[in-house]
Amino acid sequence: MANIHDNPTRDEWVRKIAGLKTLAEGHTFLKDFRAKHVSVFKTDFSLELDWLWIELKIEEKVAVLKQAEFNDTQLLNNCTCGAEAKKVAADAVAAMEACTDMYEAERIHINFRLACKPPVMPVNFFLDTDRQLGTKLMELRNTDYYALPLEELRKVRGVKVITLQ
Amino acid sequence: MAISAATKAATDALAVNRAPVSVGAQEVHRWMQSFTWDFEKNRTKYSTKYKMANDTKEQFKLIAKEYARMESVKDERQFGSLQDVLTRVDAANRVHPKWNESMKVISNFLEVGEYNAIAATGMLWDSATAPEQKNGYLGQVLDEIRHTNQCGYINYYFAKQGQDAAGHNDARRTRAIGPLWKGMKRVFSDGFISGDAVECSINLQLVGEACFTNPLIVAVTEWASANGDEMTPTVFLSIETDELRHMANGYQTVVSIANDEASSKYLNTDLNNAFWTQQKYFTPVLGMMFEYGSHFKVEPWVKTWNRWVYEDWGGIWIGRLGKYGVQSPASLRDAKKDAYWAHHDLFLIAYALWPTGFFRLTLPTAEEAEWYETNYPGWYDMYGKVYEEWRARGCEDPNSGFLPLQWFIENNHPIYIDRVSQVPFCPSYCKGASNLRVLEYNGKKHSFSDQWGERMWLSEPERYECQNIWEQYEGRELSEVIAEGHGVRSDGKTLISQPHTNKDGKLWTLDDIKKIGCVFADPLKAL
Repeated sequence: MANIHDNPTRDEWVRKIAGLKTLAEGHTFLKDFRAKHVSVFKTDFSLELDWLWIELKIEEKVAVLKQAEFNDTQLLNNCTCGAEAKKVAADAVAAMEACTDMYEAERIHINFRLACKPPVMPVNFFLDTDRQLGTKLMELRNTDYYALPLEELRKVRGVKVITLQ
Repeated sequence: MAISAATKAATDALAVNRAPVSVGAQEVHRWMQSFTWDFEKNRTKYSTKYKMANDTKEQFKLIAKEYARMESVKDERQFGSLQDVLTRVDAANRVHPKWNESMKVISNFLEVGEYNAIAATGMLWDSATAPEQKNGYLGQVLDEIRHTNQCGYINYYFAKQGQDAAGHNDARRTRAIGPLWKGMKRVFSDGFISGDAVECSINLQLVGEACFTNPLIVAVTEWASANGDEMTPTVFLSIETDELRHMANGYQTVVSIANDEASSKYLNTDLNNAFWTQQKYFTPVLGMMFEYGSHFKVEPWVKTWNRWVYEDWGGIWIGRLGKYGVQSPASLRDAKKDAYWAHHDLFLIAYALWPTGFFRLTLPTAEEAEWYETNYPGWYDMYGKVYEEWRARGCEDPNSGFLPLQWFIENNHPIYIDRVSQVPFCPSYCKGASNLRVLEYNGKKHSFSDQWGERMWLSEPERYECQNIWEQYEGRELSEVIAEGHGVRSDGKTLISQPHTNKDGKLWTLDDIKKIGCVFADPLKAL
C-alpha cells in the first residue's frame, strides 16, 4: 500500500537518481531539482510531501560521485561544478555586505543555500559563509521590526489575502 | 637510620612550607580565572546579531568536580527513592489513571526539550567569549544531559511499574500524526536551537526556563501529588534544583550584551517573539494537561498562569532586567487574555482528534464540570453541553460508530493549524483569542491564528516550511493514517490512544475506526 514513506513517486525518483553516472550530471540534476522543488521560491508543488526525501537521495548520490572523481585537494577546495569554493563564498559574502534591503538579502541567502548546500560546496567553506550571510540577514530583518503595520507588510511580502477574521 | 641528602632537603622544605592536603573549590575557580584564556578573538560557528562581552561573570562559579559531587548526591536520593521505597509501596499503581496519561505527555515532551537544551547551551558555550560565562553554560550542558535521562527514566519507570504502559514506552513513534507533537517541536526544538544564538538563549533561558519552568516543573509536582503520583515530584524537583543555574545563565546572557549596540536595536523584538513562541504552546497545553488530565484539581490554571507568568516573570523578573533596557513583551497582554480560555479550546480539539495521539483522554465528569463552571463561568454553555452530546452519542464506546471529529464536520467547524506555532484551532467554535487569517504565498496557503505569529511568518517565511497533518494526509482514511503513523499497541490493531481511562471499558481498534469512514480533509483547500 502506498504511503507517505514508500510510494511510487519516490520509487520513480530513485530510478532517475540511479541513472546518474558522472559528477557533472549529478551536479546539474541536483541544481535543477532544488531550483524547481525546494525553498519558498519553488516553482513546482507536485512533490510537496516528497521533495525533502528525494533531495536527500540526490545529495547522497552526488556525494558518492564526488568522492569517486575528486582528489583530496579538490574535496577541500572545489564545488561539484569545479568552481573554486573560496571565490564562490567570497562573492556571496561581498554581495551580502553591499546589500541593505532585507528582501534582497533573503534572496542572496536562500539562493546561496540552493546553489551551494553540501555536497555542492565543501562544508569548510559553506558553514562559515552561511553564518556570515545569516548574521547580516538577521540584522536587516530585525531592524525596525514593527515599523510597518501588518497590512503594509503583507503587501511588501507579496502575499494574497484569502481571509481575515 | 641515616637519611639521604635528597630526603632531608625535601623534609626541611616541607617543614617551612607545608604542601596543602586539600584545596577549596572556590580557590580552584579563582585559579582557573588566572589562566586568562583569550576567547575574545574566537569567532563562533553560529550566526548572531549580538556581541557578548569578554568579561561577563557567572554567578554559580562551580567547577566540574564540585558540580559532579553535588549532582551525584541528588541522583542517589532520587533513584534510591524510586527504586527502593516507591517500588515497594507500589506507588506507580496508586496514581490516578487520568494523571498516568498526562505524564505520558509531560515527561515525553519535556525529554525532547531537555535534549534540545543540550545543543542550545553547547551553542551558547561556543558563542560566549568570557571564561566564566562559558563555565556557566558548560554546567548547564551537563544539567541538560542529566535531565534528558531523568525524563526518559520516569517514563521507563511508569511503563515498567505502573498501569497501561503504551504511550509511556514509545511515544515518539506517533510523532508524525499526533497533533501536539509539531507544536512541541516548534517551542522545544526550533525555538531553542534555530536562528540567532542569543535569541535561542532568550527562548530557552529567559522565557522557557525563567518563565515557564515554574508552571511546568514546579506546578506539575503539585498536580502530581494531588493525583497520587509520588514519582514525578521526586524527579521533577530534582530537575528544578538545577533550573536556578539556567535562569542565572539567561540573566547573564542579557548582562553580557547589555552594552552592545545591537541590544538596543534587537533585544526587545527577540524577547517578544520568544515569549509569544513559547506561550502560544505552553499556555494552552499546560492548562489542558493539568485541568483535563487530572481528577483532583489544585487551582485553576488561569491563577497559576497569572501568578507565575504575568506577575512573577512579566513583572518582577523582567523588571529586574529593566536596567539593561529589557521591557515586558508587548504580546504579554494578549497572552493574558488567552490564558483564560485557550486550554479549554484546545482540549475540545484534542479530544476530537484522540485517535491520533499516544495517550488516553477522558471527558470531564459531572463533578469536574461543576468545578469548571465555578472557576470559568460560561464553561458549560460552550464546552460542557458539547461533551454531554458526545457522551450521549457514545464517543467512548467502539461500537457507537461516533468520533467527536465528526461533530466538527457536521456542524461546519473546520479545524485549522497555525503555521507558526503548529497549534490547532477552530475559529468558528472557540472562546479564546484565535482569529483566522489565511494568506497565499507563491502558490501555497497558510493559516494563522494571531497577529504576532503572522508577523513572524511574514518576516521569515522559510523558517516555517512544513506540512501539517491535514496537508500530509489529505484524502486519506483515518485508520490507514493511524496504522501508517504507528498509533497502535503491540497487538498491531488496538489504538494506543483511547477516549476513556475506564479499566473495564472496551478499547478501540483500527477496525472500529475504519467502519466510521473518516477521511482527512485540508480546510485550506475549501477556501
